[in-house]
Amino acid sequence: MIEVKNLHKSFGEQAVLKDISVVFEKGKTNLIIGQSGSGKTVLLKCIVGLHQIDAGDIIYGGDIYFNKLNFKERKNIRKQMGMLFQGSALFDSSTVLENVMYPLQMFTDLSEKDKAKRAIECLERVNITHANDLFPGELSGGMQKRVAIARAISLNPKYLFCDEPNSGLDPRTAILIDNLIAEITREFNMTTIINTHDMNSVMEIGDNIVYIYQGENEWKGSKNEIFSATNDHLNEFVFASNLTKKIKDNMQ
Amino acid sequence: MAIKYTEKILSRILLLNFFFHFGKYWLLLSKVFARPEKRKIYYQQTIREIEKLGVNSVGIVIIISIFMGAVITLQTRYNLENPLIPLYLIGLTARDTMLLEFSSTMVGLILAGKVGSNIASEIGSMRVSEQIDALEIMGINSASFLILPKILATVIFNPFLTLISMIIGILGGWFAVVVTGALPMADYIYGIKYAFIPYYVLYALIKTIVIAFIITSISAYQGYYVSGGSLEVGKSSTRAVVYSSIAILFFNVIITQLMLS
Repeated sequence: MIEVKNLHKSFGEQAVLKDISVVFEKGKTNLIIGQSGSGKTVLLKCIVGLHQIDAGDIIYGGDIYFNKLNFKERKNIRKQMGMLFQGSALFDSSTVLENVMYPLQMFTDLSEKDKAKRAIECLERVNITHANDLFPGELSGGMQKRVAIARAISLNPKYLFCDEPNSGLDPRTAILIDNLIAEITREFNMTTIINTHDMNSVMEIGDNIVYIYQGENEWKGSKNEIFSATNDHLNEFVFASNLTKKIKDNMQ
Repeated sequence: MAIKYTEKILSRILLLNFFFHFGKYWLLLSKVFARPEKRKIYYQQTIREIEKLGVNSVGIVIIISIFMGAVITLQTRYNLENPLIPLYLIGLTARDTMLLEFSSTMVGLILAGKVGSNIASEIGSMRVSEQIDALEIMGINSASFLILPKILATVIFNPFLTLISMIIGILGGWFAVVVTGALPMADYIYGIKYAFIPYYVLYALIKTIVIAFIITSISAYQGYYVSGGSLEVGKSSTRAVVYSSIAILFFNVIITQLMLS
């Protein structure tokens, strides 16, 4: 579980996050949704410690105040994190297998054989086979995301963070990635936080949803509640496309 | 009056900007020289960087040194019109120019262009494509992991490049003498051997180590703090070359004064 309490974050004069409080539950896919520029990515980067917060608390596992930890203590928590970046962030100069082995190389004392075995297991889990020796530039966008997921889970993390995991992917691949993240979350009982503005993801895997509007937390709920929400900004966001409008009309 | 006031404010801003980056640079270096996570991985990385930044620069160093050695010899010969000046001084001039200045400083400036832009664009691309964030999330000290092997590689290998440049430059002068017959070969060889001061080699090697550190650390700093996209990566690469070159010239004066005065 990760709890965010009264989080504030500004860049210079501009307040990007204002008094955000939310709980992300274990074993569930927690979605942060909102329009582009609403502060979703900043919130995610604050939670993982890539941005320093101005005020508030980020609490891991109920009692670890992440924002108050020093560099060394944070490092121990970070070993329990996996993150899937928007652009996959695979290391260009390393092969697929080397990319997945990276965290194992740095933080385990396994033999080379065991590291490779573990990396291959992770790759097989995300349905990547026969691509071990390829470089990221030789993979499709969907494959890159799956390799990035394999790398993120290689150390059996407690926390998985995904920044727009299906951006730039075709709808079918996007659903496959969404479902893969949801399956892995349940399988490993992780706390997963996904940052997205894709309504397909919301409807597929949105166990817990937080809606951010101009840096404020305006709504919380699940995918079953989102169509009946009364928040105007959320409705504008959710029913921006004709497809979602039709779904709502059919429901009524 | 208004212009003077504006100039004063601008110079203060420039000064503040300089101190801001100077402080940030030292903070980055403190992260770079933090205790490495796994020495074995750093060792492997350093070997890779030696190949990429050092061994791959041997070719350009050889080409430039051979031509510079030849040009220094020929120019010295064609500018010596006084018959009272002995011809062996041409060999001595070529040797000392290569030893004192060219093989360390000039090769350093050339490597600032080749290696510096490579480092800044590589690290800058990693920054904008979130690869550095990925390392941080894994709990890896990204500054140390990415920059320390590069610094070690250049500091270890660049002295060899300097030695290669010295030898090849002198051979370049010899080659020019053979091809043009500008002076008797015996005079050139006598000049090369005449009044040799081994301390000059030490001076050049120390200068090379400082220059290698300057090139790598300044270029890595420029790349590490890039924000934006590919345009900014390009700009950081240019800044890396410009600032490294200025720093090389500045420290060249300081080291020369300290070691040769």
